[in-house]
Amino acid sequence: MAMTRTIRLVIESRAECIELLSGAVSGLCGLTALPADEIARIELAVVEAVNNAVEHAYHSEPGHMVVVEFRLMPDAFSLLVRDRGDPMDPDKLTASAEAVKLDRADPETWALRGRGLSIIKSCMDSVEYEVGDGENTLTMRRRLGGSRPD
Amino acid sequence: MVVTHRTVDGIDLIALSGRLMMADVPQVRQRLLEVVEKGGGRLVLDLAEVGFMDSSGLSVLVSVFKAARLKGGDVVLLRPNPTVRSLIELTRLQQIFSIFDEEAQALARWR
Repeated sequence: MAMTRTIRLVIESRAECIELLSGAVSGLCGLTALPADEIARIELAVVEAVNNAVEHAYHSEPGHMVVVEFRLMPDAFSLLVRDRGDPMDPDKLTASAEAVKLDRADPETWALRGRGLSIIKSCMDSVEYEVGDGENTLTMRRRLGGSRPD
Repeated sequence: MVVTHRTVDGIDLIALSGRLMMADVPQVRQRLLEVVEKGGGRLVLDLAEVGFMDSSGLSVLVSVFKAARLKGGDVVLLRPNPTVRSLIELTRLQQIFSIFDEEAQALARWR
């Protein structure tokens, strides 16, 4: 069985700390053969997931932990974002599959928010959300090598 | 994040520099909305020096767009790097923002 190597990164639930995770994940992805533009997309997916944990699970309240686990395998890696705040409605992950239509002439379509999950899904091969034992886990997977389906 | 502001023929040119993430959003949003409030609502946002932006950064762009349109103005984007441009296209925001590669082209939007 191929060896999985794992590292856990922990930040406090403060927006100012998210950049630290962002930089660390970018560096970890640099261990793979992914090109820079793909690494930037993975960094973006992690930032969106951690933003959601800080803003929605913990309601921007500092003093809680957000854990990011990076599991590197020879042909893939996983990124798990864990929090112990309020869980997300799992249906949101399905609903975000459809991109929002924007119209310059229609102010009703100029949504300020609600793009994070669709960004995450478009940047990763698979995304799952699990709630259990007071912990919420968003698991994002990405294959290494070969081309990604559109 | 550094925000630089200058005016050319009544058009506000704002250059952002750095990473636009959730921690920077309140300060940057407030600064840009002040420019819209005091000016004519015609804004060019120069993103050339923005190395990274997330969806909270996009929410700032949309906030400013809304405020500018309420004044009868508009917001155009200048020189986003490939990463930021990719995010804008992924979220279809190019449907409301015109994107230019040259400052003169962006300014010509109002001439």
